Amino acid sequence: MSSASVAISMRLAPWLGPLRSMLRLGGSLLLGFAACAGIALCVGIDPRLMLSAWLKGAVEGPQVFETVARSMPLVGMAVAAAVPLRAGIVNLGADGQLVLGGCAAAIVALYLPVPAAVRLPMALVLGATAGGAYGMLAALGELYARVPLLLSTWLLTYPAKGLCGYLVRAPLRDPITAWPSSYRIEPAARLPQLLHGTPLNDGLIIIAVLAMLVVLLDRYTAVGYEIRMRGLNQRFALYGGVALGRQTLWLMAASGALAGLVGAIMVLGSQYRFTDGALTAPQYSWSGMLAALLAGGEPLGAVVAAILFAALQTGGFAMERSVEIPRVLTMVLESMVILFLAMRGATWRRLR
Amino acid sequence: MAYLEMIEILKRFPGVLANDRVNLSVERGTVHAVMGENGAGKSTLMAILCGLQAADDGHVRLAGGTLLLRSPLDAIDQGINMVHQSFKLFDSLTVWENVVYQREPTWGPFIHARRARQEVTRLAAEHDLAIDPDARVAALPVGVRQRLEILKALYRRTRVLVLDEPTAVLTPPEVASLFQVMRRLAAAGCTVLLVTHKLDEALSVSDRITVLRAGRVSAELVTANTGPAEIIQAMTGRSSLRPVNRSQVTPGAVALAVNRLSVDAAGHRAVTNVSLEGRGGEIVGIAGVAGNGQSELIEAIMGLQAAATGSIQVGSRDVTRRSVAERRRAGLSYIAEDRARTASAAAASATDNLAMGFHARAPIARRGLMSRAAMRLWARRLIDAFDIRIRSETELVGRLSGGNLQKLVIARELAHQAPVLIAEQPTRGVDVGAIEFIHAELIAERDRGRAILLVSAELSEILALSDRIVVMYRGAVAAQFRREEASEVALGAYMMRGRALS
Repeated sequence: MSSASVAISMRLAPWLGPLRSMLRLGGSLLLGFAACAGIALCVGIDPRLMLSAWLKGAVEGPQVFETVARSMPLVGMAVAAAVPLRAGIVNLGADGQLVLGGCAAAIVALYLPVPAAVRLPMALVLGATAGGAYGMLAALGELYARVPLLLSTWLLTYPAKGLCGYLVRAPLRDPITAWPSSYRIEPAARLPQLLHGTPLNDGLIIIAVLAMLVVLLDRYTAVGYEIRMRGLNQRFALYGGVALGRQTLWLMAASGALAGLVGAIMVLGSQYRFTDGALTAPQYSWSGMLAALLAGGEPLGAVVAAILFAALQTGGFAMERSVEIPRVLTMVLESMVILFLAMRGATWRRLR
Repeated sequence: MAYLEMIEILKRFPGVLANDRVNLSVERGTVHAVMGENGAGKSTLMAILCGLQAADDGHVRLAGGTLLLRSPLDAIDQGINMVHQSFKLFDSLTVWENVVYQREPTWGPFIHARRARQEVTRLAAEHDLAIDPDARVAALPVGVRQRLEILKALYRRTRVLVLDEPTAVLTPPEVASLFQVMRRLAAAGCTVLLVTHKLDEALSVSDRITVLRAGRVSAELVTANTGPAEIIQAMTGRSSLRPVNRSQVTPGAVALAVNRLSVDAAGHRAVTNVSLEGRGGEIVGIAGVAGNGQSELIEAIMGLQAAATGSIQVGSRDVTRRSVAERRRAGLSYIAEDRARTASAAAASATDNLAMGFHARAPIARRGLMSRAAMRLWARRLIDAFDIRIRSETELVGRLSGGNLQKLVIARELAHQAPVLIAEQPTRGVDVGAIEFIHAELIAERDRGRAILLVSAELSEILALSDRIVVMYRGAVAAQFRREEASEVALGAYMMRGRALS
């Protein structure tokens, strides 16, 4: 996806007005749904049935809470991807940062010899720190050894996954579990539930606040201005005196910290233990990257796109249960929407 | 009657008349030089001849027939081939594979490799081009690659061979051997067009010379009957600009000192041991044909490119190893040559573009928080002060004309009120009205005590504005003049040959 995705995001970035971009997004969504309906027809399923199951599964009754719960990691990962993307930098290593964050949080919550009430915030902070440091490592590689970030972020994912996988297989393994996992975190060190009887926890608030903060930083601060200008023309930013190296470092640190925090929240708020592969299996980082690309790196757009994806995915689960259409279709839809958007951008450009 | 004729060629680009009814006529079997300064229209003319661009009016005749050139393929079919400055070769393929590409002798669906190789070997021998048909292009030196480009053209039965600045990348012995090849091709009946701004080359290899200036033919010369002075005169002409009002200003303290600076770019030394200084209230003009190290010198001064050796001082601070931001704080401002790619962000609004550099301080920002209203106000002020024609300050600057975008860049850089201003090709591609405005602004800044470094390929501009003039040739300072001592002919000689007229 590498340079093509950068090109796509750059093409989508200078959307001329919110109205036009909403129209384009709506059109692409319709086309995506139409494609999925076409697939349903081919396998002999009534597309109306499929669509209603999909939509109901996303928003009907208690399903709303499922969608909101799923928004937490998706919004978090979308913002993690959008922060560097706004400057034209692609962080393909969110998975590694996510896993390290979750693993660090589990270790702190399980083993740090301090009261549980202190362990919880420390686990969150150290989870974010682990992810952030790992993101920064990739940036340092680019600054001092000229390893392209696209490569280093992506390839550093595997050592991170490998290390955490080893930890829960050997030294930290809870022997009674079937799958390699750490011990269960005691209730006092877990993130509190937000609403009883729902899967929502306080992590949702943390991510919402951080996402809002990123939106404000992007719009109203000199730091955000420098990031935006770099995304529009890196050479112009350099010419104007933006310290690109330092900026890369902090962008990657922030991106990694957000991903690490999402991992920590998932471990502390819903899984209660670090299980090998459990954080990456739902592919939040992939969907988050797509949401960020969809918005051309603009953080508010990325948040909206992530919530939309959360709804589509939750609906997809319900659809799978009720009409037996595999939820892989949601990934097909997400990809189609991006492709249709990119395609329109290209043809529109050529015609002009 | 002439063999190749380009008649009344007219080509207009937005804001520029690149070719204004140009006539070119070339005899068969001659080497014909097309000369002119950057932007004189010679590249456009050649692009039209080779089918890369369509003329708005006029036509091309070859051997008595009018040609329809809609694409480079049409031109190649007519036997018109161009060797570009950057070669169009497959690095990973061999010489003969490159030569026969798209015109391969075949055997059924396969390439008849043996026959292709034989054909290439025979052709090379026939034209006395020493080249190994089995060598990989990646392993060949530049001079041989150029020979391969020529061989490629010969294989396509070229009748007219256009060489675009062919010696720019060659060493002197390679140049000599290229000239021999050109003469031999001409003797064999091929018509060779040499595009160049180098005087010695045109004088030593061509039969006739056509000189372009500002899109028009300014002279048609027979090489045997002309000399350097006449050509320089035709290329540069007299200044058509209104004389600039200049008051006498006594230069102040040294604001910028460059000491024995060398810069490496793309594997070669682009700038060698350049020393110069700029004082407050003084315009130092850096003259030179484009590509003689000026861009690299300026980028190294600004910090966009690293210096290999030497030092740069702004005021009393040594900034040699400092970032662009620190250099700007120390007192540099910079009108970059490439306004669209470097000095602005096309997809950002005028407000955003004008805020760059002012975005982290009052009145636009307080404690890191930017005020949209203050940004707008700031942009409005600069737009009004510099009479930038724009619908609103929120318009994207990618939609501005060249002259207006340049005014926007100049407005922002002058607003810094930095002690040193570097103005690189400040009037390139800008209409006459804007040129006069920009010149007046530069002079006014000088009178206010600014030290200005003016880089320009336009001799007339250098002469009109500068107090002192430095000529760069092949990355080094070839000569320095005080304004009173300088003349176009004297400067031109150093620009084109690196030495005085002899």
